[in-house]
Amino acid sequence: MMASTTMESAFLKIPSFGFVNPNIATSKLVSRSSVSLRFGFHFRSCAISSASAAEPASASSPSSVVNDSEKLGPGSLGHITRPDFPILHQAVNGSKLVYLDNAATSQKPTAVLEAIQNYYESYNSNVHRGIHYLSARATDEYELARQKVANFINASESREIVFTRNATEAINLVAYSWGLTNLRPEDEIVLTIAEHHSNIVPWQLVAQKTGANLKFLELTEDEVPDVGKLKEMLSKKTKLVAVHHVSNMLASVLPVDEIASWAHDVGAKVLVDACQSVPHMVVDVKKLGLDFLVASSHKMCGPTGIGLLYGKSDLLNAMPPFLGGGEMIADVFLDHSTYAEPPSRFEAGTPAIAEAIGLGATIDYLSGIGMERIHDYEVELANYLYNSLRSVPNIRIYGPDPSRVFKRAALCSFNVEDVHPTDVATFLDQRHGVAVRSGHHCAQPLHRYLGINASARASLHFYNTKEDVDDFIRALTDTISFFTSFK
Amino acid sequence: MQSLTQNLSFLSPLFSQVSESPEPKKIQLKSSFFKNPIFFTSHKSVHSPDKPISTGVFPKNSIFFTSPKCYHNPDKPISRNPRNSSVSCITAHEIPLQPLTVPEKVHCLACEFKSLPEPIDRVKRLLHYATLLPPFDESGRVEENRVKGCTTMVWLQVEMDGNRLMRYKVDSDSEITKGFCSCLIWLFDGAIPEEVLSVKTDDLAEMNVGMPSKGHSRVNTWHNILISIQKKTKNFVEVKDKDRSLTEFPPLVGSTDGFSVYGNYKEAQYMQESRQAGNEVEGPT
Repeated sequence: MMASTTMESAFLKIPSFGFVNPNIATSKLVSRSSVSLRFGFHFRSCAISSASAAEPASASSPSSVVNDSEKLGPGSLGHITRPDFPILHQAVNGSKLVYLDNAATSQKPTAVLEAIQNYYESYNSNVHRGIHYLSARATDEYELARQKVANFINASESREIVFTRNATEAINLVAYSWGLTNLRPEDEIVLTIAEHHSNIVPWQLVAQKTGANLKFLELTEDEVPDVGKLKEMLSKKTKLVAVHHVSNMLASVLPVDEIASWAHDVGAKVLVDACQSVPHMVVDVKKLGLDFLVASSHKMCGPTGIGLLYGKSDLLNAMPPFLGGGEMIADVFLDHSTYAEPPSRFEAGTPAIAEAIGLGATIDYLSGIGMERIHDYEVELANYLYNSLRSVPNIRIYGPDPSRVFKRAALCSFNVEDVHPTDVATFLDQRHGVAVRSGHHCAQPLHRYLGINASARASLHFYNTKEDVDDFIRALTDTISFFTSFK
Repeated sequence: MQSLTQNLSFLSPLFSQVSESPEPKKIQLKSSFFKNPIFFTSHKSVHSPDKPISTGVFPKNSIFFTSPKCYHNPDKPISRNPRNSSVSCITAHEIPLQPLTVPEKVHCLACEFKSLPEPIDRVKRLLHYATLLPPFDESGRVEENRVKGCTTMVWLQVEMDGNRLMRYKVDSDSEITKGFCSCLIWLFDGAIPEEVLSVKTDDLAEMNVGMPSKGHSRVNTWHNILISIQKKTKNFVEVKDKDRSLTEFPPLVGSTDGFSVYGNYKEAQYMQESRQAGNEVEGPT
């Protein structure tokens, strides 16, 4: 049974600081300004240089291709925060590590590592069960982490936050608990073809069991999901719209607030996969009007092994359990059991206590920087990455061209003509210590739609710098030159 | 001391086949990848007599000419376990006499890659071997031939020839993966099934490029292709063994008149079961 929420009253809402204090893992909360993520508007980014303004690339000085922003120079957020991440300061295969695989997983600051170590060193104990000091302290910290998550995404209360193993498990929870209860034959679930497998496969499984149908939104010529057609796809048959917020391959951003509004107009619920947005921008579930939201800790500088499901209280209250066992019960008899209230109802067994506390420390760290500041910096870095990469010959970048209408996240999936992306990624790693991802990025339907088997992907986070991008471009140019001469 | 003219099958990653002649031939290898051509003598492989010499690419400073090589010492028993192999490392001018077994080839390949000082050198070596992979017919690039679980596309065709030796054809859309494939073909093409099935992924770990992990992830190409090769090989073995048991080794049927060979296993089994049930059955009693 969940402990009382006395910790909620102990919180002080402290304005975000403009500097990073990485060594303090306190219960600092950020009073969040209301920043809308309305698609194409209200971003506080600088003007993005257009394609026509880009100059031809020089292999030796990629920085000469684009206009350097002051925000990317010495003293940038990336330069300031890099010392907080010990893993970044190493050599790989004889070269300085350049980590550009953040869409797969992010690196962890010292504050998070210390919080986890401190838990195991000082008060490791099972939660919600014991009455002794260690258990009480562990329970308090665990529930405090839940409250921090709730505040981070502006949920109404901490009971709306369910800790899961990751976003994939969170989606499966909704699929099997909400889906099996609410879906009937001929009901429709609307997705996009750009969804991560974790937001496709669970719905396929549940659709098979319930007789519901899946409908997929395709892309426009700009390689973004065709939001204009989405509204036409919705009908009284639509029971759920499950979409990404930021595409892990296209880097496009969906107007999930508008989508939620359209979905609610036809009586459908909305689930948003926020794995690529929560780590990089302000996400306000109330302002966006979402019914469900999922995210993974490990993509937002937190530990692996823990994720979160946000669900509106009335929805969670009506959902049956997903997994059965201890913690999620009220009473157990031989022939039946009664169940706990959410979120405990959906947290069977001993939870990932250290990981939840680590996630809490992560939120403290990110809040100390400020999500708006992180987002502003990453917009600059995203533009620099895109324009630098586009200046390399024989490169095809997927997703929209950045413009006033289309904003891109700080990642680029790309292919090099006549060179397999796995070969590119291998050479980048082995020769230059540059870590990018190659493959289908858990988006096979999207790759198939684009007519490719695989792609390479460079993805940034706030601790990356302009120099990382420069190193990547230089390495990529060398890689292309190598394979070209080899052939 | 073995002469360089004798069995160089361990060098076959460099060329698909070497031709046999009464007198050793001198072959000039020209490399688009490395600048200096190399002269050396060749010898025919016992497994593939009909394939022409391939002008492969061979670096002058390659391990095979400047570093210890692998050979099989006929005085030592051949071990199927590459870790306990009787194959040792020798100097450049000591030449093996006998064809290498698959475990010995694995050991040789492991030696070669282990000796490469930098990870990028292993990449380059694989790219070199990729150029030696025999052409793959476009008609073979079908879904049933695809090796599942790889991030790159890999197609594999497996056959068993009349001598019960395994024959493999493989291709990929990635040059590095082609290099992997080329090495695996050299290991297994023309081998007996049991040798193919005896190799473990860990045996190939030394050759892994950029993958210190021995885990079974989808980027571990060695593992995925090896498993596919072995699965398909096993299928061939099972089919052949079943056919052989029915035709080559007819069962002995015991009767009051002694033992005699009669029909096939199933037929004999049926007869025995029927007699035990008290039914009249034609055939030896």
